[in-house]
Amino acid sequence: MKCRTVRSHLSSYRDGELPAETTREVSMHIGSCAECGRRLREYDSALGRLQALPRLACEESIAARIHTHLEVEMRGPGLTLLFRPAWSARPLFLPSLVPAVMVLLIVMGAVISLDREADRLPPVYVRNTGQQWYGRVPPSGTEGNPLFPSATVSLPRTRQGDPFWSQALAGMGQRSFFIEMVVGRDGRVSAVTLLDGDSFQAAPILDMLRHQRFEPSRVRGEPVAVSFYRLISGTEVRAPTT
Amino acid sequence: MVSKAMSTRTEVAMASVDVALPASESIAAPTAERGLVEECRRGDPNAFSRLVALHEGLVYNLAARMLGDPEEAKDVSQDVFLQVYRMLPRFEGRSSLKTWIYRIVVNQCRNRQRWWRRRRRDKALPLEELTASESVQLAAPPAEGPEQKVARREESRRVQGALLKLSLDHRAVLLLREVEELSGAEIAEALGVAEGTVKSRLARARDALRQALVAREGNPS
Repeated sequence: MKCRTVRSHLSSYRDGELPAETTREVSMHIGSCAECGRRLREYDSALGRLQALPRLACEESIAARIHTHLEVEMRGPGLTLLFRPAWSARPLFLPSLVPAVMVLLIVMGAVISLDREADRLPPVYVRNTGQQWYGRVPPSGTEGNPLFPSATVSLPRTRQGDPFWSQALAGMGQRSFFIEMVVGRDGRVSAVTLLDGDSFQAAPILDMLRHQRFEPSRVRGEPVAVSFYRLISGTEVRAPTT
Repeated sequence: MVSKAMSTRTEVAMASVDVALPASESIAAPTAERGLVEECRRGDPNAFSRLVALHEGLVYNLAARMLGDPEEAKDVSQDVFLQVYRMLPRFEGRSSLKTWIYRIVVNQCRNRQRWWRRRRRDKALPLEELTASESVQLAAPPAEGPEQKVARREESRRVQGALLKLSLDHRAVLLLREVEELSGAEIAEALGVAEGTVKSRLARARDALRQALVAREGNPS
């Protein structure tokens, strides 16, 4: 038997899986061939050393790791955790739920209180002038940059009376409204802003003010837009006696 | 089947892992093994914990020897038992439970190695540090002096290093045969190959280990 054949049989020879005749031939060859004998000894030594390797053990319990993993899996996400029966709740459940509920309550409270604050802000009515300015400040005396009454700028005068004005004033009772108005260069009211007063009750008066017509203010003969404040009150106001 | 598996999962998860094994219980007893599987399938809360306690040593040892990394071996062991837990309702009992578990271990190791190779990090594993790692304990260490301990550790390191030079298939077949002492038929079951393939692969693996050890000792660095 040739060396190459013997070496290919070494594994089966070692396991005793070769037929008796082949086993005898391999044994004879190994006894007479130093190289094949050495190879068999190396073979035996290698496998003996492999078998002698100590068994390794994990210092941490695998069972505990699996137990933890399965427990986490069993808990399930979100709603499953919230709606499972109380008797299956774990100690972990309550400590995590309480802060969650507190955060939810704080956020809801903040939303409600901010919403109430928003209601208290006074409503502002601004008439669209149809003119928009971007970038630069509009020229003085225009509707976008009105002048204020002064020694050189007169207050605009009412052009015509309104038959409903006296009725609206009569229906005011003791209420007062503080209003800012802008009268444009054509004598039309370009903006009306309620600065103080009940917006609902002021609505008819604001509507009338928007339709008032004025003789426009003039500066050196040129019409200019003017902004001024009006206090409209049902209470009789008299100048202090000095 | 799914609902049965879910109920089993719940009950097992709630069970304690501190299970005392009777002294008479061993993995090799086929009837005890069949009974354990049946108990797991029925949803006995302690059965799966017993199954893990019975097999965790051999699973960890095989994974650690195949991968050469104690942390990886821990993860693989956990994955193996989770897979066992999920697949147990489908275990038909055509092979022994132990062989079936070995098959899962080998497949998990193969997946793990593929995963590392895909990320080009297979060479970064501390492969030869396995026996020196403090996180690994040698099961039932014999009483010995410091020099013997060092020599034994050095020998383990050499053999483990040679083992890791082999391909994963060769490592698997060698460990199953020489360390776990499975028969050719059992190895064929565990690896999912024909018995003839096991024989030829075993012959090549043995020769490769011999060459690796000879080469290593010829060049100790």
